Parts: sequence; structure tokens; C-alpha cells
Amino acid sequence: MKKTGKKTFFIVVAFIAIFAVTSVLGIDKLYGDNRTTYVKGVDDIRLGIDIKGGVDVTFGPAGDFDADEAQLDSATEVIKTRLSSLGITDNEVYSDTKSDRIIVRFPWKVGESNFDPESAVKELGEMAELTFRKGTDTTTDAEGNTIPSGEIVLTGDDIASAKSQYLPTDDGKDLEYVVSLELKSDGENSGKEKFAAATGELMGTETPISIWMDNTMISAPRVNSTITDGRAQISGSFDADSSKKLADQINSGALPFKMETKSFRTISPTMGEGSLDAILLAALIAFVGIAVYMIFLYRLPGFVAVIALCGQVAGSIAAITGWFGFMNGSTLTIPGIAGIILAVGMGVDANIITGERIKEELRTGKSLDAAIKIAYKRAFSAILDGNITNVIIAVILMGAFGVPDSFFSKILNKTIFFAFGATAEGVVYSFGFTLLAGVICNFIFGVFASRLMVTSLSKFKCFKNRKLYGGDTK
Amino acid sequence: MSKKDTQKEVVLTPKKVYNFCSKKKLILGVVIGVLLVFIAGAIIRGIHLAIEFKGGTLITYTYQGEINTNDVASAVKDVVGSTVVVRTGESLDSGGKQVTISFTSDQGLTVDRQTELTTALREKFAENDLEIYDSNDVNPTSGREFLLKCLVAVVFAAIVVIIYIAIRFKNIGGWSAGVCSIFALCLDLLVAFTATVVCKFNIDSNIVAVFLTILGYSINNTIVIYDRIRENRKLMPKASLNELINVSCTQSLTRSIRTSITTIGTMLIVTIVVMVTGYDSLLSFSVPLMMGLISGTFSSLFVAPVTWSWWMNKRAAKGKTSK
Repeated sequence: MKKTGKKTFFIVVAFIAIFAVTSVLGIDKLYGDNRTTYVKGVDDIRLGIDIKGGVDVTFGPAGDFDADEAQLDSATEVIKTRLSSLGITDNEVYSDTKSDRIIVRFPWKVGESNFDPESAVKELGEMAELTFRKGTDTTTDAEGNTIPSGEIVLTGDDIASAKSQYLPTDDGKDLEYVVSLELKSDGENSGKEKFAAATGELMGTETPISIWMDNTMISAPRVNSTITDGRAQISGSFDADSSKKLADQINSGALPFKMETKSFRTISPTMGEGSLDAILLAALIAFVGIAVYMIFLYRLPGFVAVIALCGQVAGSIAAITGWFGFMNGSTLTIPGIAGIILAVGMGVDANIITGERIKEELRTGKSLDAAIKIAYKRAFSAILDGNITNVIIAVILMGAFGVPDSFFSKILNKTIFFAFGATAEGVVYSFGFTLLAGVICNFIFGVFASRLMVTSLSKFKCFKNRKLYGGDTK
Repeated sequence: MSKKDTQKEVVLTPKKVYNFCSKKKLILGVVIGVLLVFIAGAIIRGIHLAIEFKGGTLITYTYQGEINTNDVASAVKDVVGSTVVVRTGESLDSGGKQVTISFTSDQGLTVDRQTELTTALREKFAENDLEIYDSNDVNPTSGREFLLKCLVAVVFAAIVVIIYIAIRFKNIGGWSAGVCSIFALCLDLLVAFTATVVCKFNIDSNIVAVFLTILGYSINNTIVIYDRIRENRKLMPKASLNELINVSCTQSLTRSIRTSITTIGTMLIVTIVVMVTGYDSLLSFSVPLMMGLISGTFSSLFVAPVTWSWWMNKRAAKGKTSK
């Protein structure tokens, strides 16, 4: 390890302070009435339906369609997956077989500029049936809508996975957004085989293959060669958002029937309005209490622990707001708060373990420097194992209840949870998310940063007194 | 650790070593006691599943003026005899104000009772002009599947944790230690569940959060103690297992108590603030969690190490007789 000097303390404190301030306040700029948010702060946190209330939508089959239980169940799953794709991880979806209705609730944030509940609801209810058809023929149905009528080559069910990509165009001069599809390749009548047969038939003819999302034609490319590798691309004036949306829609699958919104209204929080204020008040009292307690018990290391805890709490907030660019934000729910409490508790514990160790090592008569060094080293094995088990728990929960597209979900859903549909339950995911973020912060602040700070402070003459570390005076 | 460190190492056993291993009867007593309270609680109080797990009916009324959800809940309680969840909302398509009442299916909401309820509510809130807007039955299948999936996830996590402990604590016989830590965890979960049942809280998704939090805390607590045993095994190679456990638990005692004061204290503060401010719905989160944490402190110091020592000693005795 590099030598920790006197300056290190101030550098670490400055880093934590900057991090804490930006993650709590966020960074934004006002140009006239336009507020551009660079870093989201506490005000931008999406609160879960249990804390803040939300939107309640009832969907039902359009027209006289009578859905059976299996269809309703699969529609419920599709809607849950779509909610997760929209970043609404906290949601409640109930189905009612008697009246053929699906009740969807999701959190609401007034004044959130980039979230529009009405368009979200519209997107949820879209049937999203993808079809590949021969030719571009259309007819008019009984209600006067134009619907595609060409012979169906592929449907959404034939597609194994879809993703949005930014690729060079055919002439290689430019880049464009496309949706790349991988077709299912199991069995004789799989998507791969059907697509190969159709492209073989239409190769070189004037008849294009048209691609439709419900009743809208996305594109109608001509077939230049037989496609046998089970891969296809949809191009057509996409931007980053629209190609991602299409890929998400294809991945979450089509609804088994056409749905319409039966009712649409706002609801009050399940936990009672203002419950967040109560939690925040409690959290503030608890934090002050812990701070006083830690400083009283461990003096200098206790003081350092409080700085480290500030960093850790800021880290949890940052994870929820999406401060880290590579990580999406999440919705804050009661289980999410439980995850933060658990992670902060682990952070306090890490500091207590180390504080106790420093005392013990001092009592064996070691020098201050040696005692601090050995105490951190020995305490680390306990902290490591305790935190890693929590990482295991968090990752399993996130995998089991996250968006089915993510890495861990893919592994877990095909092995342990094969008996269950790929459900995305926001509340448990939210817990796993805040716990994982908190535990990582615990390693950064509770272990690494606090060691740097204590070691650095012990270099100052005025902090050489062993009493400050809970040792005896000799 | 470099060799230099170990050479000048002084083994400092605490002045007074508490005999944790002799507390077998205490543990047995506590486990039986908790079980009894749980069974009694389940019989007397009954287990109340929330609507998403049990199925039930959602009735929505439109209303005028202002309405207090707590008043509605108590009015409904007078008619139906059990507590219900009441929410208010605003319709976005028609703009009217609405109040929704959730009944679980065991509350026996027949058509007659529903009519009775509507009449009673309209009488009580005459100035609010209540009108039935909607009545929906809620299907519990997806809620039940969620519970089951949670259970599978937790069991799977427990197995992975046992494997992890078995690998990391190989030098002190990891497998049995892992199993004992999960046994201690089960006691903590039972305590939290008992608290939920005895306090007559609804079993909703809050309990899932409580269980998951306890899962994390309890295993962390136990691991801290195991870590001390692992370290002491190296420092005192000649000590018997019981001595080792007693010394390790005594050394970890201060840390365990101090950590528990902060975590349990935090939940106590949450409980008090929630009671003072009147957001009772959070109590079903804070009270069971607090009880589980108290149990977690006890079980990590007593249940896990002591059952483990009992297991190891039994195995050693068996080994001797067979030789």
C-alpha cells in the first residue's frame, strides 16, 4: 500500500463532501425556464406507489372478446415486463378473471418532466403484435381501420430475442439505429426455417417482405438473398429511443388479445400520505443518534466512521437517482428503504468491528501505527464475508425479480426458477438494488475510505494520543 | 498476514470468559417458547393475508367534497368487523374523486353485505354523496406465485450462503457451521413472523422486505462470530472447541451488543416516530423487523455457535466410539 500521508485525510473528506453534495442536490442549470439536469438529486427520485401514490389503470379486452384464464395470465405477465422495460419497477398488477380485467398500478410523480403517465399507459395497452408478411397488401376491417392482409411469414413468437443496435447502413457511409432480431431455431417449423423458406421464395422478385407492428408498417425491404442464419434486421427511420422501444416490445411479447383502457385514475399512497416525511424524520433522528453514539464510543475512529457513513448514505441515494452513468436509477419503495437500512447497518457494524479491534490491539501493547494497521487487516475478513453473503442475496433477488432481459435473470430463470414465469416484481428488485449498492458503498467508504482517514489522522502529532483511539495512556 | 506479525502475536484471552456452550437448555427453551407463542398467536389472532395473496374484492365509490380515509376504514370496520385498506384517488378521465376499499376474500363480502355496507357508508357520509363506481374481484394467483417465488429465491440464497460459508470457513468445518447459521436465521424469521401474527398485521409485501432484511442481518451477525472462531483456531490450536467458542463469543460480545443497539435503536425510533405521526401502516414493517433483529442478536451469539458445538461434539463422540 502506498504511504498514507497527512494530506490524504483532507482529500478523502473533500471527495466524500463533493460526492454527497452532488448526489443530494443534483447538478442542474437554469436557462430561462428550462432546467437541464446533469446529475439527478434527491428531488428527482421516483418514489414508489407505497410512498407517493400513483396511477391506477384498468384494462379490459376490446370489444366483445372473452379472454380465458390462460390468456389473462399471459397478458398480465406481458404488462409486468413492459412496466419493467419502462423503468417502472414498482408496480402492482392484478387480474380479475370474472370480469376479464387487468388492474395496473404504478407510482406517480407530479412534475416529472420526462415521464408521461398517459403515454406510458398507452404503450402498456398496445397489443404489440409483430408480423412479417409477404407483400404490402392491406384491407379495411369492419371498423374502417386499415389492417395488413399479406400472408404471415413470422410473428413475434418466432423471435428468440431482439436488441437495438447502432450499425453502419448498407452503403457503409453512415450509421443508423436498427433492431436486430435473432429467430428461434429449434425444431422444423421454427422461425429460422420459416424465414429461410420465405426469403428463398421471394428472392429477386418485386414482392417485398413487410414488417408490421400491429397495424403500422415499419418497413418493407426487398429480399436480395436467402437468409438462413436465423438473423434479421429491422431498419427504418429509428432513433435511439424508438429502436429501443421496439426491441423492448418484441422482447416482452405480444398481448394475446387487443386491450383498451377501461378506467384511468390517480390513487393515494398505500402507506398513507406523508409517510415518507415520517421515515425521513426517523432516519434523521437515528442518524444523529448513531453519530453521537459512535463518537462517544470510539472517539477519533468513531468520528471518521460518521464521515464514512455520510458517504455511504450519499452512495445509496446516488444509486437510486442514477448518479452513476452505467447504472439505471430505480424506484424508491419501502423494501428499498429496508435495503438501505440494512446496508447502512452493515456499514455501522463494519466501523464498530474495526473500532473494537483497534482498542484490542492497543491493549496488547502495540504501537499506534501497528495497532491501526493490524486492526483494519483483521477486521476486514469478518467484514468481507458478511458483506459478500449480502451481495449473494442481493444478486439472487435482483436476478429472480428483475427485468427478464438482464444477465442474471437469464441464468436464474432458466435454471432455478424454470417453474415460474419470468416475472418482474419491482418491490423485491428494489430491495436487492439498494442492498447491493449499499454494500458496494460499504466497501468503498466503510472500509477503504475510513482506513485512509484514520491512518492519515494518526500521522498528526495532536492525534497521537492513544486515548483518542480507546487505548490506554502508556 | 506476514510471518513477522504472527511471531510477536500475544494471545489475549478476555479476563472473564462467559460460558456460552452451557446454555443449551436456554436455547431449547427460547425456541419452544417462540413456537408456542406463534401457535397461540395463529390460533387466537389468525393469519391475515393481504388482498394480493388471498384474493378479494375492490369496491370503488365516487364522492364529493372531502373524505378522511381513516374515518371510512373505521366505518367499514363497524359493518364488516375487520380492518380494510382504504385509498382515495382521482379519476383522470372523468375528473371525479374516488375512494377504493379492499376486502380480502375471508371477510365474506357477499352481495347482501356489500349492499348493507353501501347503505351504511352513504348514511354516515351523507354530505359526500357516495355512489358505487366499480367492483372488482382480485385474483390471488399472481400474488401467490410471487410469494412462492420469494420462498424459492430465499431457499436458493440460503443454499448458496451455506456453500459460501463452507468454503470460507473450511478450517473450522464449514458445512456444519453454514447449516447452523441458517438454523439461527430460521428462528429469527419465525420471531418476526410471530410478531406479525400477534400484532394482527396483514401479511403483505412489507413482510417480504422484513424477511429479506433479517436474512441479511442474521447471517452477517453469525459470520462475524464464525470469523472470530476461525481466527482464534489459528492462535490457539490446542483449545477445545467449546473453549474456542466461549472465547470467541465473549470477544465478540461488545461488538454484537453495540451493533445491535444501533440497528434495534433505529427501528425503535422508526416505530416511535410512526406511532407519533400516525402512519400506522408502517408499523407492520418496523415492529416485526425490530423483533427479528433482537432475535438475531441472541441467535448469532447463542443459537448458531451452540448448536454448532453440539453438532461437532456429537460427531466427535461418534467418531471415537466407532474407532
